[in-house]
Amino acid sequence: MAKEMFLAGCSSAAYGAMLSRVEVISSYPIRPYTGIMMELSKLVANGELDAEFVHGEGEHAQVSIAYGASAAGARAYTGSSGVGVTYAMECYSPAAGGRLPCQMAIADRALDPPGDFGSEHTDVMSARDQGWIMGWAADPQEVLDNTIMYFKIGEDARVLLPQFCCQDGYFVSHIPGKVSIPDQKAVDEYLPPFNNPHPLDPTKPVSHGPQIFPDQGPAIDLQRAQAFIDTPKVIEEAVADFNKQFGRNYDPFLEEYMTDDAEFVFFLQGGHARTARFAVNHLREKGVKAGMVRLRFMRPFPTEAVAESLSKFKAVGTIETSTSYGGAMKGGNLIHEVRSALYDVPNPPPVTSFMAGLGGEVVSLEEFYSMAKVLTQAAKDGKVDQYVYWVNFDKV
Amino acid sequence: MSKKYCEKFNIPKHLQVPLGAVLPANKKENKGMITGNWRTVRPVIDHEACTLCLNCFLFCPDATWHLDEKEEKMVWNADYCKGCLICENECPVDCISAVNELEFKGGVVRLEKPF
Repeated sequence: MAKEMFLAGCSSAAYGAMLSRVEVISSYPIRPYTGIMMELSKLVANGELDAEFVHGEGEHAQVSIAYGASAAGARAYTGSSGVGVTYAMECYSPAAGGRLPCQMAIADRALDPPGDFGSEHTDVMSARDQGWIMGWAADPQEVLDNTIMYFKIGEDARVLLPQFCCQDGYFVSHIPGKVSIPDQKAVDEYLPPFNNPHPLDPTKPVSHGPQIFPDQGPAIDLQRAQAFIDTPKVIEEAVADFNKQFGRNYDPFLEEYMTDDAEFVFFLQGGHARTARFAVNHLREKGVKAGMVRLRFMRPFPTEAVAESLSKFKAVGTIETSTSYGGAMKGGNLIHEVRSALYDVPNPPPVTSFMAGLGGEVVSLEEFYSMAKVLTQAAKDGKVDQYVYWVNFDKV
Repeated sequence: MSKKYCEKFNIPKHLQVPLGAVLPANKKENKGMITGNWRTVRPVIDHEACTLCLNCFLFCPDATWHLDEKEEKMVWNADYCKGCLICENECPVDCISAVNELEFKGGVVRLEKPF
């Protein structure tokens, strides 16, 4: 029987890891993800979870431990926030390239300088080329559910990729919500034990990361690229099975909210979707045909699904929550991915981006209303005046 | 790499990569890559003082120490030791000492051909 509890994202991630029967956990403290390891250490100490709990000497060590454990055949779990995520950067490619499906729980945090504990997606977004599966949860329930689903997807023999299971720092990681905790038996039916096809085994020794000549490089890169071509199908199956097994209703790639007759949509990922839904409701009451599309997977980016969904609208506003200084659009990251997805669509809607929710700020209802003003105008004009709006400063 | 990708992309056989570039490891020494000639200092063991604790074996990054169980002695591999002296550092009874490589006849293993 599923159990209902009131949990914040950190705790629900820990419960998700426990239900996934993780075998090796590598920890290192950094706010705000640190709550996950605090909860897991309690579960291990009181015998509820039988796992090796290892304390790394830093985040670089943490991720090395996780993928080393995965290489030995264990289901491995780690996590970090902010500069911890970037400190471990060297380790991401070997884990993904070695096809080691460990999971890293990210409660995102703005990067230094200066010291900012608030939520921002830039930390792990800056690792999106490293070959890991990556996606954001919008609430504690989805954090727990994604933890289990990502292991199922990542460990599939057609995929074998590590995963960043992300949540907004503080907004999701530290604010409690109702969580239905599935029972262990149901999770065991859904998620079988991890089967590493080439584990480190003294009786059948293997080598990771051999030296190669340049002409072998492209073939190796191609193999990794192909893994991502094969992943969306696995995601669709894993999400459909999860919905059936646990009574949820997730769309694999996009959550569409009030989009049936929307003129424009807010496009975003993560916890700010919850404010967005309220904003959309209020705007609708005022007769504004707003909608929201929430991205559930940044990697693999669901290009076809995004093109198909967004091409229905007259304007799109990406709510960035991350920075891409000096990038093509000089703002955030989502607009680059969205414009690329829409490039081949005949008569694509104008897309503008909003630098909002940075540094840990909420995206307030007032900000949604001013964004709606911009998008209403863009829908009317069929074009945008600016590609980047800084919502705190640009007068609209 | 799966057969269908190799066929689809016309990948020549010598570039067909195993999954994750994970290869079966050598079980024998690879005589083609002698790195012992990088050494300028050699660890020398005093077998009398050695307690067979196996620290040198455990800590060596190149697996150049191993225990000869019959002779009950530690055996050192001149072809691969690079003289890092981690073994000397980790020996609990200080029975390993560092000696200049040139003091040994045939010291500094030379390759017949440059690598």
